[in-house]
Amino acid sequence: MVEPLPQVTALLPVLLLAFTGLALLLVDTLSPDTRSNTSMAVVSALGALAALAATVWFVASGTGSGDTGGAILLFADAIKVDTMGLFFTAIFASVTSLVVVAAHDYFHDHPNPATFYSLTLFAATGMSLLAVANSLAVVFVALEMVSLPSYVLVAFLKQNRGSVEAGLKYFLVGALSSAIFLFGISLVYAATGSLMLGDVAGVLGDIAAGTDGLDSRSGIAGLGIVMILGGVAFKTASVPFHFWAPEAYEGAPAPVSAFLSSASKAAGFVIAFRVFTEAFPVGASLSADINWVLAFGILAAVTMTLGNFAAAVQEEVKRMLAYSSIGHAGYALIGVAALTGADGGAAANGAVMGAAMAHLLVYGFMNTGAFLFVAMAERWGVGRTFEDYAGLAKRAPVASTAMAVFMFSLAGLPPFAGFFSKYFLFMGAIDNGFLWLAAVGAVNSVISLYYYSRVVKALFIDDPASPTTLDTIDVRPTALYAAVVFAAVATVLLLPGFGPVIETAEAAASALF
Amino acid sequence: MIDVFSYVPAIVLLPFFSFLIALGAGKYLPKGGAFGGVAATAGSFLLSLWVLATVAGGGAVNRTIYTWASAGGIGPTDVELSFGILIDPLSALMLVIVTLVALLVHVFSLGYMNDEGETGLPRYYAGLGLFTASMLGFVVADNLLMAFMFFELVGLCSYLLIGFHFREPGPPSAAKKAFLVTRFGDYFFLIGVVAVIGTFGTAQFAGPESFPALADAALNGSGSVAWTPGGVELQTWLTVVGLLILGGVVGKSAQFPLHTWLPDAMEGPTPVSALIHAATMVAAGVYLVARMYGFYALTPTTLAVIAFIGGFTALFAATMGLVKDELKQVLAYSTISQYGYMMLALGAGGYVAAVFHLTTHAFFKALLFLGAGAVIIAMHHNEDMWDMGGLKSEMPVTYVTFLAGSLALAGIFPFAGFWSKDEILYEALVHAPGEPLLFGGYLMGLLAVPVTAFYTFRMVFLTFHGEPRSDTARDPEPVRWNVKGPLAVLGSLAVVTGLINMVPVQKVLGLEGIDLLHRWLDNEWGGIAGLSSHHYADIGPYSSQYIVGGEVATVLVGAAVSLGLALTGLLVAWQLYNVPSPTEHTAKLGGIKDVLYNNYYLDELQVWLAYRTEDVAGGADTFDQGIIDGVVNGVSSVSLIGGDRIRQVQNGVVSQYAALLTLGLVALIVLLGVTGGWFL
Repeated sequence: MVEPLPQVTALLPVLLLAFTGLALLLVDTLSPDTRSNTSMAVVSALGALAALAATVWFVASGTGSGDTGGAILLFADAIKVDTMGLFFTAIFASVTSLVVVAAHDYFHDHPNPATFYSLTLFAATGMSLLAVANSLAVVFVALEMVSLPSYVLVAFLKQNRGSVEAGLKYFLVGALSSAIFLFGISLVYAATGSLMLGDVAGVLGDIAAGTDGLDSRSGIAGLGIVMILGGVAFKTASVPFHFWAPEAYEGAPAPVSAFLSSASKAAGFVIAFRVFTEAFPVGASLSADINWVLAFGILAAVTMTLGNFAAAVQEEVKRMLAYSSIGHAGYALIGVAALTGADGGAAANGAVMGAAMAHLLVYGFMNTGAFLFVAMAERWGVGRTFEDYAGLAKRAPVASTAMAVFMFSLAGLPPFAGFFSKYFLFMGAIDNGFLWLAAVGAVNSVISLYYYSRVVKALFIDDPASPTTLDTIDVRPTALYAAVVFAAVATVLLLPGFGPVIETAEAAASALF
Repeated sequence: MIDVFSYVPAIVLLPFFSFLIALGAGKYLPKGGAFGGVAATAGSFLLSLWVLATVAGGGAVNRTIYTWASAGGIGPTDVELSFGILIDPLSALMLVIVTLVALLVHVFSLGYMNDEGETGLPRYYAGLGLFTASMLGFVVADNLLMAFMFFELVGLCSYLLIGFHFREPGPPSAAKKAFLVTRFGDYFFLIGVVAVIGTFGTAQFAGPESFPALADAALNGSGSVAWTPGGVELQTWLTVVGLLILGGVVGKSAQFPLHTWLPDAMEGPTPVSALIHAATMVAAGVYLVARMYGFYALTPTTLAVIAFIGGFTALFAATMGLVKDELKQVLAYSTISQYGYMMLALGAGGYVAAVFHLTTHAFFKALLFLGAGAVIIAMHHNEDMWDMGGLKSEMPVTYVTFLAGSLALAGIFPFAGFWSKDEILYEALVHAPGEPLLFGGYLMGLLAVPVTAFYTFRMVFLTFHGEPRSDTARDPEPVRWNVKGPLAVLGSLAVVTGLINMVPVQKVLGLEGIDLLHRWLDNEWGGIAGLSSHHYADIGPYSSQYIVGGEVATVLVGAAVSLGLALTGLLVAWQLYNVPSPTEHTAKLGGIKDVLYNNYYLDELQVWLAYRTEDVAGGADTFDQGIIDGVVNGVSSVSLIGGDRIRQVQNGVVSQYAALLTLGLVALIVLLGVTGGWFL
């Protein structure tokens, strides 16, 4: 009989990320002369990959899953390691490793790249902590741990006006949203007297059943829940909390945009999936007249529509991707918007939320890859608009093919993984009786094909404005190439590998209901 | 022990590799990649012989090789879709026929294409390789969907090869016609495939879970089908499904009314015509019916329809062959007519007779086409029979073999065609009483016999006999071994193939065991249960009735009548055309002549139909342009305008963002609060 590892080792992925970040900071501080961009990138990539390996190992061995004794609770139940947390940690670690590898080439002439790597890893640490948080206090602290490095990362090019302005705007909107979120937590505490997710759910059940004698508290709790929902909407860049996103993604260095739009967005969803299932269970909330399902439904529909409509009219590829990532937040919101409070709906709820989780995993690769392609274009110094991308496929066929894969997968065309995740998501919504959400999603997917295929058309079909336009492409950024190609390979391989992914995700989600 | 069946995929893949080689490296190889094709088909032929020997030794296999859509996978389906092989006496026999004819056609092409200095040879040999591979894949298919896929590939290859001389005006047009007309039939076939999968949940040909077995069980009441469209009776529905699949058969096997593509397909190189007519494309239709005969035997209406179409086509095409002036045109109509006989046999319950005629026809028709090819080489590609004459002294090998093929085609004792055609007519006759459609088919089949003999020997006499009527005919170009070799092989086969199934001799003389093909297809040496001629006879609707006192008398009378009619036709042709300087006698036909020359105006009818279809399509086009596109364009302009509005909101002023954000949150709170009654 193998001795089980101590319970705290369940936090190994989080600790690996944290210590890698600290080590980078330490080296940078103690001996600033010996540091080099390459070694920093290698160390941070290794750290992220080690965290990913640990996560995958945990998932494969069933740590925290229902089969092996259920979730692991740590630190007076403030931390809860379960399969869903690990699933999201895998997304964060994958995106982080892609981003730090790509950043090696992007920041090749930056005077102090070490800060970038440590900040990215700290943000990733915050995200993975968020994924296992079991108390509203931990949720808030972890959320700030994600947000603060993100503000700095957006403004990382401090000589660049756009980068600095974007960072400031992001910070201002973020501060407002954090305030709303925190106020929401305080209201929920006022109504329920607890910050632990499970205890909040218990009191909410009492309120719903009318057994606590103070039914007016349902309004206070509802107010708090909607405000928490606002905090989630900020992190996931959902309407109306999305205003920061296009500007931040556009102004930020492209690897940071990739990181924010993929990992940080997924972090927002892990709050939604965790808090709104464990603290505010759908059945009890509906009984207490707190219809947050409807609120998410409205957000999902509006976010999808606004993101896709706005993306359709953009001139710059990066800004188009920013709006497209807003649109994808709308799709993923279906995972919390298409829940049913009916008895016996647990399996169906698990299916739709699991589909949303799988979509976020696929999205993590394809969206990161797309932004990294933009990073490569910025590194080459070709322009930012669709026209500037014309004919790139002739100079960079491999990367352009990868970009085409990302675009078609984002649009949800059948041979790519993005098709299956969307298919399961919409099917889950329909099964739960939310045909209208699936219909809105399908119509938006059609619109999205328009602007995604514009990129492919520019790359492969259009001719460059003049024959010399593409002569600026004189470098072959190896690491960026590697990251882009790896993301493309992952996007393609997730098609045959989709079975285990969706099964894991649905099992993880079902454990929450 | 070596499992020969694991090499069956190689039979299909070898010609496919020759296709790849000819396509990729053909222009660097000697003879444009021809040797690769010859080697590949020879390899396939040897493997097929081995398979045949193994089946004769009691082996048979029904094996799934690759499942590309498994049951219960992603998507709302429980159907398993796969590729597999089904080797039983029927497919083993067909493999040998196809590979042998393909091999001989490849060798002949060396003389017809290479020696004549044609260009684009790699493309030609690539096409031949793919054509052979597709047909072989179709033959070994173990389910209807796989069969359909290879069926379509066969159609594609025929398009590529008929249009080989694409710079001339005729071939591309003929290729398009062949493609479109057969596609029209395949459209129904595709619906039929879907109907079979929907009805039974499987498309397998053989085994207890195959669709013929399930249909049989459901009709017996000992099973049920997965689905029938609302309220339709099972028997009716199976008939509908059978007729839908028959659409593909009618198109590919060039049966009335979809036969019009085949005469035009003569625009292709002559070896290709031989391949199309003898062993691949046209044979595919008949083979499909034989392959799923266990299904057709359950639906008497379909069988009667098949028999009637077959008999009608046999007579109808034969009459058109009477007046043609070009050598290959006559052969084209004879092909249509002969496949009509096979359909008549299948419809009349004569499964073995149909396979028998398929076999003998494959040999003698390949022979006739290759012989015609030799004549065409000799005549410097002039195909008009009125410019020929007297070639028999100049081309003795071609003459003798062509004569053997013609005697077989005309059904003269003891050549191969006599035996098989006689058996078809016999089967139709004894099953006909009480079946008006079948009896009509029989009568037309019988009437076609003298017509066939007449046009065949009109062709022979005009081409080889009499005085030469042109300078090229006086001094024809000699042909080489690579033309004569295949002719000799096929000539011998045309003489002797009939011996594999001498049923009349057996019945009259009482010799047991010389009906080899009957015993072969009855799984006497081994096979797969449910795929034997005996089983088909058991489930089929027919019983035999002997009209003229007893079995032996009926056999003798039937044989005498058909032989007598054939000899009559031959003699009339002899009288009219075996003279030193024959003249056209078509004027005696009066008004019928024009009708026959113009193929009963069916081409005009199809063109007219195409234009009417175009009118209907025009209506659909208006609907599409106006309403569908209108909606689509409307959506796109709405989304673009909407997107522009959103851009204006995103104006870069953070304080406005904060205001909008807060207002949005307040709106959400108000909405949920009012509906949830929080403020009361």
